[in-house]
Amino acid sequence: MNSSASKNKIFWALITLFIAGSWLLTFSFVSVWVAVSSGLSTAIAMVLIIDFARKQDDFDEFQDASLDEKTSPIDAIDEQLRSAIEPAKGEMNQLPKIDDLLTTMAGASERRRIDGLVGKWAELAKQFNAVKQHLDAQINEVINQSEDATDTIASSFKTVINKATLQASQAMNLLEGTQGATSDGSPQSLQDFIRVSDERLNKMADEVMRVADLSVKMVRDLDDVKDRTQAIDGFLLDVGKLADQTSLLALNADIEASRAGEAGRGFGIVAQEVRRLSKRSNVFSHEIRNHLRMVKNGLNATYSNMQTLTSKDMAHANNIKNEIMTLTKTLEDKNREVAETVSDINTISKEIAQDVQNVVISLQFHDIISQKLNSIAAPMDNLASEIDLLTNETHSLGLADSWNNNLAMQNQQKKSATNGSPQPASNNDGVSKDNAVPNSGPNVELF
Amino acid sequence: MATILTVDDTASMRQMIGFTLNDAGYEVTEAADGNEALAAARKSKFDAIITDINMPNMDGISLVRELRSLPEYKFTPILMLTTESQDSKRKESKEAGATGWIVKPFNPEQLLNVIKNVLN
Repeated sequence: MNSSASKNKIFWALITLFIAGSWLLTFSFVSVWVAVSSGLSTAIAMVLIIDFARKQDDFDEFQDASLDEKTSPIDAIDEQLRSAIEPAKGEMNQLPKIDDLLTTMAGASERRRIDGLVGKWAELAKQFNAVKQHLDAQINEVINQSEDATDTIASSFKTVINKATLQASQAMNLLEGTQGATSDGSPQSLQDFIRVSDERLNKMADEVMRVADLSVKMVRDLDDVKDRTQAIDGFLLDVGKLADQTSLLALNADIEASRAGEAGRGFGIVAQEVRRLSKRSNVFSHEIRNHLRMVKNGLNATYSNMQTLTSKDMAHANNIKNEIMTLTKTLEDKNREVAETVSDINTISKEIAQDVQNVVISLQFHDIISQKLNSIAAPMDNLASEIDLLTNETHSLGLADSWNNNLAMQNQQKKSATNGSPQPASNNDGVSKDNAVPNSGPNVELF
Repeated sequence: MATILTVDDTASMRQMIGFTLNDAGYEVTEAADGNEALAAARKSKFDAIITDINMPNMDGISLVRELRSLPEYKFTPILMLTTESQDSKRKESKEAGATGWIVKPFNPEQLLNVIKNVLN
């Protein structure tokens, strides 16, 4: 190895000489192209140095192996070079070792690479925080907007339902009024009105029928009176006949009295008186019969009138009753329609009640959505905590300024986010909800 | 008619519960979180309380514990009305002294039946 080291030194000496010569040439010639060529030479020399450094070990091994066999000419050269280089050896030792130089360069490069990665990592953490803040803000906005909208819908719905309930109740009152009961016997509802009308009408019909019956009875009584007047007429006729016979007997008595002469003179006077009385009796009888005939005629007229009246009353009463019955039937139909409408309103009210239930259930969506959204944000909070831990740990390694700057910015961002809008997860316990043990219990349970 | 305190941080939920209970003739007082509810409960006595679990400031389970520590609310029915799906929370509520558990969204008819039951 000693010989190999000496070879190295010889080589270095040659190279140094070469460089020195080149520089001499450079300084000797003023023209530019010479300077360029010397520069090129320097560059070539540097390339050769690096190339040589890479292959140095191989060359050393080769030298070690070969120098043992072939010594004579190389030894001579070596000796010459050694003597030439010896004076500069001290200075050569003071030059930095190429290995150290390369190690330092590689270390710097690795450091730069790590710095770069750390910078990217910090940038990623920063971006994540920005995204998280944006998402938090968006989630908050969605929750707030849906809350406002739900509140408006809920209060409008409440108003609408209250009005609908009031409307239905008023309609029911109105319609129930037509179906309602009486309080003081007077007809207050349509149904009641129909009932009372029917009662009054039946009473009226009964009265008419009773009057008609009385009329018939009266007609019969009149018949009896007629018969009796007829009998009186017969009696009066007999009375007239008796008067005529009495008058005839008085005439015969008067004739016989005249024939008896003076002895029958008084009897003749009695006979004349009897004849006069008989005539008067006959006149009375005629007058009575005339009067009786007039009474009979009057009775006949009354009988006829009463018959007409009775039949007309019955017909009229029947007509009125039929008309009122038709009206009553119409009213009853109307009343049935009203009852059906009441029933419809009741059905609609039940349907509205069912719809109200559905709306009440549906309007709870906001609360559920808010919790779901918050549970979406919760894993990000956990991730942010993890990132915090990692960034702090990285920070503790004491890396590049870029990292520390990023970290500082991140912390600043978090601080401002915390001071600004409230965190959406304020009313939830985070990821535990979605990752929780599924609910196995019933929807309603009394403990 | 019975007075009921409803506790929920969501205004629309409070409106829906209030609407359902008012319609059934109950007198309803609303509170937005546990603290408000506790203050209201101290101010006047309610016949029943319906509360959410997840709320800011004071959650529903803490509210139940606080109320149960008050002599006048030792036996008052307290129902949990929540979207919470954890059985552990259900158990925790029961242990805290809650009377029952209703999962959101609630069915108005069901809610009224439960209220009727617990009030009786």
